[in-house]
Amino acid sequence: MNDYAIELNGVCKSYRFFELQDVALRLQRGTIMGLIGPNGAGKSTTIRILMGLVCPDRGEVRVLGHRIPDEQVAAKWDIGFASDDMRLYDSRTLGWHINFMKSIYSSWDDTYAQLLLKRFGLHAEQKIKGLSHGQRVKATLLLVFARRPKLLVLDEPTTGLDPVARHDILRELTAVMVEDGRSVLFSSQNTQDVEQISDQITFIDRGRIIDSMDKEVYLDRWRRLRLEAPSGVELPALPGVIEIQQTGRLAVAIANAFEPHLANAYESSGARVQAVENMTLEEIFVANVERSREEVKA
Amino acid sequence: MKPNVAWQLILKDFRLNSLVIIFTIAGGAIALAILLIGGQTPVVIGTVFFFVSMVFCACLLPLQNIVNERKKQTLSFVMSLPVSSARYGAAKLVSTVGMFLVLWLTLLGAGLYMILGRHILPIGAIPMGMILMNLPLIGFCLIAGTALVTESEGWATAAMAVVNSSYWLVWYILVSQVPSLTKTWGGPVAVWSSAVFKILGVEFGLIGLILGLTLYLQSRKRSFI
Repeated sequence: MNDYAIELNGVCKSYRFFELQDVALRLQRGTIMGLIGPNGAGKSTTIRILMGLVCPDRGEVRVLGHRIPDEQVAAKWDIGFASDDMRLYDSRTLGWHINFMKSIYSSWDDTYAQLLLKRFGLHAEQKIKGLSHGQRVKATLLLVFARRPKLLVLDEPTTGLDPVARHDILRELTAVMVEDGRSVLFSSQNTQDVEQISDQITFIDRGRIIDSMDKEVYLDRWRRLRLEAPSGVELPALPGVIEIQQTGRLAVAIANAFEPHLANAYESSGARVQAVENMTLEEIFVANVERSREEVKA
Repeated sequence: MKPNVAWQLILKDFRLNSLVIIFTIAGGAIALAILLIGGQTPVVIGTVFFFVSMVFCACLLPLQNIVNERKKQTLSFVMSLPVSSARYGAAKLVSTVGMFLVLWLTLLGAGLYMILGRHILPIGAIPMGMILMNLPLIGFCLIAGTALVTESEGWATAAMAVVNSSYWLVWYILVSQVPSLTKTWGGPVAVWSSAVFKILGVEFGLIGLILGLTLYLQSRKRSFI
């Protein structure tokens, strides 16, 4: 069996005002990958391609070992997909939707569905049109989770949710992962959500994957060094430091491959290292995007 | 064994649109009841309402069952299920045409009963009636096909405008260009002339062509959402 739940190689898709360029992505089975990118970065296009809803112009896509889009039906039996623009039938109840899903999926877990109804504070008799946005998202995720899919593909599921609803959903996602072999691709603009649950992080911007790595490695490698450089001291350009912002005597260096010897190198050049700080995923994301855009410009 | 998802999608569409079918059949039944009153005015009013109920459904069903799926964003929910875009298109066409046929066949049966059983119109009107009954069916297929292929409310509305304004034109052409039809429609027997068969053949050929073309174009789509 293939080790990857998702494999994209050299995937390209051109639209009039947007281009997905040479996307390569691998999600190992049993892991959660957070796909982070600003609006219009290509997150949804990438997800639609791997769901077989959009045909790429070039490149190879495999999901759970099936070639997409040709074998999308076989793959979709084991994929649970939800996106922020997905809606259920307004005039019908959640119970109606549950029965509809039961008629399709023999893997439907009724006990788990009942449990999720309670945990999410939903009622099967409620009509979808009477639900709030948060409740609709929860209802959609209930329909996805209770199918017990091997792969969850969630396109910005927490967008527009209040903190409590977001917490409920992230808690359930983490619980779902306790089951062996389940994989999750989770796209979001909210780096906090991604940081909370992901094992792997992939940054995408303007149709290009700009970085993809293990979350812990990311957080470990990126550091902010606060420096004091007396007049006459020139801060050296060190490998692993991608940006230096200097205002008078004070400077901030951003390192994407931090090693303790970097601080020593600055000390040796005459500067004083005031602090070495960890960066949040959001700060790393912004720095990464800015660096990528500079590189493209250059 | 895995269930047939396309069949489940067809059943789902029938459940979602059952009220439209029931109300339209009820409308058609009321129109036929008006015919029973007898006299020229009720016959004209009843006949017009009878066709209006079918034309109404021919416009409403494609909007409800096809256009709304995209407009109300339930399409991505359906496409998350194990179904390809070609199978989805085929299932959607079968459900939409199937629902219309339920109505069409019911009203056709009721209409024939009114002529043969209750004698509210001469039996000679049956061939012309059959030809006229096919017009909303062709119009419906054209609207449904346009809605499915273009996935656009605008194009579906344009198709409706074209179809609805064509009915009178077709009626005019039939009456003015095929005199054998009007000569025999008041008679005591149904005359199935070669002209009638030719027209019915063209009508069924058009229906087959529209549905075939719709399935072909749907199967060639590369982007679905």
